[in-house]
Amino acid sequence: MDFMVALPTIVKAMAMGAVPILLAALGEVFSERAGLVNIGLEGIMAVGAFVAFAVGKVTGNLWLGLLAGMAAGVAVNMIYAFCAITLCSDQTVTSMAVNILAPAIALFGYNLFVGSNPDNATGAQMASIAIPVLSDIPIIGNGLFDQTLLAYLAFLLVPCVSFFFKRFRAGLSFRSVGENPQAAETLGINVVRVKYLACVVCGALTAAGGAFLTICYTPIYTDGIVAGRGFIALATVIFGRWSAVGVMLASLLFGFFDGLNVALQASFQSAPVMFFKMIPYVFTIIALMFFGSKHGGPKACGKPYFRESR
Amino acid sequence: MADPTKKTDVVVDQGNKESKRDWRAGMYAEQQREKRLAVLTPIVSLLLALVVGAIIIACLGKNPLEGYAAMIQGSVGDLGKLGKTIERACPLIFTALAAVFAYKCGVFNLGGEGQFIMGASAAAYFVLTLGLEGVPAVLMGLVAGIVFGGLWALLPGILKITRGLNEMITTIMFNYIALYFMEFLYKNVYSDQGLPQTPAMPKSAHLIDVGPAHLGVILAILAGILLWYVIFRTSFGFKIRAVGLNPTASRVNGFPVRFLVLAAFVISGAIAGVGGAVELFGKTPFRLADGFGSGFGFDGVAIALIAQLNPVASIVVAIVFGMLSTGGTMMQSVIGVPTAIVDIIRGLIIIFAVAGMAMVKLPKVKAFITNLSNKNKKAEVTA
Repeated sequence: MDFMVALPTIVKAMAMGAVPILLAALGEVFSERAGLVNIGLEGIMAVGAFVAFAVGKVTGNLWLGLLAGMAAGVAVNMIYAFCAITLCSDQTVTSMAVNILAPAIALFGYNLFVGSNPDNATGAQMASIAIPVLSDIPIIGNGLFDQTLLAYLAFLLVPCVSFFFKRFRAGLSFRSVGENPQAAETLGINVVRVKYLACVVCGALTAAGGAFLTICYTPIYTDGIVAGRGFIALATVIFGRWSAVGVMLASLLFGFFDGLNVALQASFQSAPVMFFKMIPYVFTIIALMFFGSKHGGPKACGKPYFRESR
Repeated sequence: MADPTKKTDVVVDQGNKESKRDWRAGMYAEQQREKRLAVLTPIVSLLLALVVGAIIIACLGKNPLEGYAAMIQGSVGDLGKLGKTIERACPLIFTALAAVFAYKCGVFNLGGEGQFIMGASAAAYFVLTLGLEGVPAVLMGLVAGIVFGGLWALLPGILKITRGLNEMITTIMFNYIALYFMEFLYKNVYSDQGLPQTPAMPKSAHLIDVGPAHLGVILAILAGILLWYVIFRTSFGFKIRAVGLNPTASRVNGFPVRFLVLAAFVISGAIAGVGGAVELFGKTPFRLADGFGSGFGFDGVAIALIAQLNPVASIVVAIVFGMLSTGGTMMQSVIGVPTAIVDIIRGLIIIFAVAGMAMVKLPKVKAFITNLSNKNKKAEVTA
């Protein structure tokens, strides 16, 4: 394969593949910064993907679909929030439960939606917008600057989130809740409210990541469309050291492996394609092996917060 | 009824001793209460999930009672259907036991599906390559399942104890790798006349039927009982549980924590792997194809959590899951609700179970329950 010829394809696939992981990982950053480990991203993405697909198809407006998907994601994440924050349940176990329930809801909805009318199987796609000058840059221009509006918004979100956590009082109180909730409480921060807020943001962003899959990536919904992206997003958060910029770089890296997989599949059609499909998963493990950290991450992450305890 | 005045006499007489006994009785009562709650929570969550499922069915304009009747009819209506239900539960028992053992050691193994698939793939590969038949084929397959299932869990185990990688992420990644590896096996290596499936296992190697279901079910139940014994009645099991409850204290006590964690990974993977081999030899179509083992890993996790990490209870919960699955098909054909409703019910059971278990541990609720039972006792005494 001529690498230079394939490069634009890889770059394009990289940017496309990075967006859902980036959105979900940003959601997880909010959640973990507030001390809540949520491994239910996969399930929330599935719900977001289906609802955005269905509402986008029925109303004909993809942005309405996106909003509905995000609302559904928030609703599903509220189950987790109630159990983990109010009932102080084990966060990993609870989010795993969400991971089992949420795709079932999406599949049930899909069966009803398409079962009643087979025409519903294919939805609409968001059109991509080329940025005038930048998209003419050779090799990378077409890939990076000819994206859907949602993808641009996702990347624009990165500096906003970074700024929020570093410069805003609200962002700092978010971080303090994740590091030491008792101390945060004595400073007058409403820990429980911050945690619920984190869950709302996490649900919305993660579901938007899922919605990207059905309204920008492919025009269909299938069971298992998320294909482990929720868990790759979790790896991305560790890899990006819980910061927005780090998460973006990491998701671009994982997007690159996804793009490599797509490009290799196109170039070597006779080769066993399963080995190309393994690439994103294998490299997630390898990347974590070399750059994952034993320490780091918010200190109170994963611990339930009892207000009365000392 | 006992005379209340007499009782106070006894307390005055024996003084210190009696109060000690009282305190012990209180501890015992609390343990009993916790045990009762542990059994009650999953049952209540099952009922709640069925109620919510009924509401969803009713919202679709169908009759939920008719649906549930069809579900029971379709899952345990006659001996053949009962056998199907138990056979459906068999792989779930294995993946659930795998999850139970790992979680007892604090290892959140989500890779049951990958280990199950690798076990089955290794079994199929060796049997087809060596051209084995009959009992040797089954034995070879089971050993290959154990070895490769264990190996597939060893990798994330090594990554955890050497690099500290979160096993939740790595095991999921290994699941996808195993899935594509199996695809390679049935599409490229041993494709059955170009179809995306392996040839069927030789007829002489199929597991024999014991009653309504195949021999593998007996193996699964034996594995559950053995695992219960190992976890709760051996010093190895005690160490495993100790590491799960408090790794620091275990290390200070001189337990080889890293070795025990690795052992938990490998044994957990081996159980899932042998489950894959049993499924391959026990259940039609006796071959690897698309969808083999799909979802069994997460179902196993769900079962383990609902069963509160008890191996024997896992068998019961797995059979309930089997009933939901086989009954769901019948329900779809009778009242026309998609089978995915069963997945929702399953998801709801685990949500309710997790929420319920967390709720009874909340200080306020705990105090309320204690009050309630004390009041009952007082009422008994006065009556």
